[in-house]
Amino acid sequence: MKNKVALFIGLIAVVLLLMAGCSSGDDENTIKVWTMNNSMEDFVTKYEEENDVSVEVQVIPWGEVKDKFLTAIASGEGPDVVQVGTTGVPEYADAGMFMDLSDYISEYENFNPDNFYEGAIGTTEYEGETIGVPFHVDTRVLFYRTDILADVGYPEGPKNWDEMVDASRQLAERGDDQYAIDLPRDDPQYPFMLAWQHGWNYNEDEGASNFEDPKFLEAMSKYETFYQEGLSQLEEGKELVQAFSDGSKPMFFSGPWDIKTIIDGAPEIEDQWDVRVMPEQDTNRSMIGGSHFGVFHNSEKVEQSLDFINWLADADTQLEWYKDVNELPANLEAWEDPILADDPKFSVFGEQLESTEVLPMITEYTEMSEELLNYMEEVYRGGADLESTLEDYRTKVTDILSE
Amino acid sequence: MTRWKYKLMPLFFIGPAVLLLMVFSFAPIFLSLGISFTDLTLIGLADWSKINFIGIENFVKLFKDKVFLESIFNTFFYVLIGVPLAVSSSLVIALLLSMVGKWLSSTFRLIFYMPSVTNIVAIAVVWGFLYNQQYGLFNYLLSLINIQSIPWLEDPLVAKFSLIILAIWKSNGVSMLIFLAALQSIPKVYYEAADIDGANRWQKFFKITLPSMSFATFFVTVTTVIGWLQFFEEPFVMTDGGPLNGTNSMALYIYQRGFEYNDFGYAAAASFVLFIIVIVATIVQFRFRKKDQTL
Repeated sequence: MKNKVALFIGLIAVVLLLMAGCSSGDDENTIKVWTMNNSMEDFVTKYEEENDVSVEVQVIPWGEVKDKFLTAIASGEGPDVVQVGTTGVPEYADAGMFMDLSDYISEYENFNPDNFYEGAIGTTEYEGETIGVPFHVDTRVLFYRTDILADVGYPEGPKNWDEMVDASRQLAERGDDQYAIDLPRDDPQYPFMLAWQHGWNYNEDEGASNFEDPKFLEAMSKYETFYQEGLSQLEEGKELVQAFSDGSKPMFFSGPWDIKTIIDGAPEIEDQWDVRVMPEQDTNRSMIGGSHFGVFHNSEKVEQSLDFINWLADADTQLEWYKDVNELPANLEAWEDPILADDPKFSVFGEQLESTEVLPMITEYTEMSEELLNYMEEVYRGGADLESTLEDYRTKVTDILSE
Repeated sequence: MTRWKYKLMPLFFIGPAVLLLMVFSFAPIFLSLGISFTDLTLIGLADWSKINFIGIENFVKLFKDKVFLESIFNTFFYVLIGVPLAVSSSLVIALLLSMVGKWLSSTFRLIFYMPSVTNIVAIAVVWGFLYNQQYGLFNYLLSLINIQSIPWLEDPLVAKFSLIILAIWKSNGVSMLIFLAALQSIPKVYYEAADIDGANRWQKFFKITLPSMSFATFFVTVTTVIGWLQFFEEPFVMTDGGPLNGTNSMALYIYQRGFEYNDFGYAAAASFVLFIIVIVATIVQFRFRKKDQTL
């Protein structure tokens, strides 16, 4: 009996100690950082050594970011420095998650907006505030099989959407289970990119009437064409790398991470594929994604946090990061390094990043873009009429924006 | 021992459970009822002064919301087709397992129970391959007997059935165990008496086995109905409610509104509608049970 009591008391003591251990690290020289990439932990050691600061990195998987951020916003208990994906900026900034950095831009050399891609800066600004400093960027380009596209007369890949449609029709005629391209059915940015390339643009003041533009209709009818004519597969088919390798889907749009995916997953087509910038109709604009680092609104260590972000924004830091995890630097100077400038594939991303468009920076964008996918599905899968569906969609957007 | 000690003793034992229920079940229920009359979004979460009371506006909007009505329809579709199949199939499996030898029985018990404890994401990957249009095993097997390929997850109606099949396979294990336990607790004396009276196998099954298991059946049915009304995981990992909202369930719709669009007030209202449906369905079953109270 005595032993049991002792054991019990011992257990409680251990638990209390553990709890105490979790809440340590509140001294002057520690900053808490939330990030989505688990390479960050080792990456910051260099900074820690140089500045005698301890950086407590907590990695949040992308899938749990939302829950974690919501909890932090609701409770006011957050880190000092936080990484945020560009698409999340409006929602979290609107809820007051970030400290406004506008006044500090002149204080730190690496905060200068001219150092970064214009599109990346566009996604750090929300309603006149600067919520963070760009860290990595991301965009979409066209991946294509050079040999197969050469067979239909486009060895360099289709330059504009007319060529794209022509090449696609020829490719789809190769037989059963042969498609031209793998269009993402559940990527909400995709219809927007298509519309930008047809010369459309979203203007915040116009709300739902943005979607009355004939250019938008033209873009969406292209979108429909690709599924209607079987140029892109409607069902869940072959896994992408395999389909790219055997030629049944010789084109797709994707981001920089897929370079490695294809190199590792399909070594057999090593010299038979390439990337090129987006097809140009009116423009060849692609989306700008990526992430920024900002300061949590009630952080007590503003000075240290800003210094850390200043280090992250540095060209050399971002270049090191690229070598580590292949995420593209937002800092323009980093792109002058031969490792990026002379890489035949990654340099294409650099070129595409010069021509990007910022997705609408409004909190309703998530719902608006998801709904567009749903309405377009009614058209290409449910056989609804395009024009009247877009009319319904405008009603829906009006409703979303009025909430 | 004084009298008040006797009185307090039971409270002391059930206290922790009641406390946990209070904190983690009842409190959130009342909280979400409160939220459902407001327009709470992400901003309101940070700054409480921005939350407005809007009465029953959320509920009015819900019942005009085409997607929500579709998800109610889908949920009832899942329940009406899935529950009878799930209960009867696990009962049949339990009966078969009780007939075979010890070694076979324990092996297959393990096999049937496995899906219930397997991670849903792993299940989604495997079943995604099985249902795949291009190289799915199911369509391959059908092609061997010259049946055209079935659009497992590509057609709103077929996809519902595909998810039901997956959900039954996944949930059979637990119900099967409960049925097995009930089967093993039926006294052998009944069967011996029936043998002496010259009853055949069917008579024994319908007059002894089924009636003796009525409580287990009731329990399994109630929990299965509640589980299927909250059908969430399967469409979430397999189809995300598509194609054309054909597999969207109420629980998934609540998730989408609440955690994808940050529309907390609206999602809370929807979850309250689901809550009412679950309560009503459960009460109805208890009423039925009272009527044929034989045990």
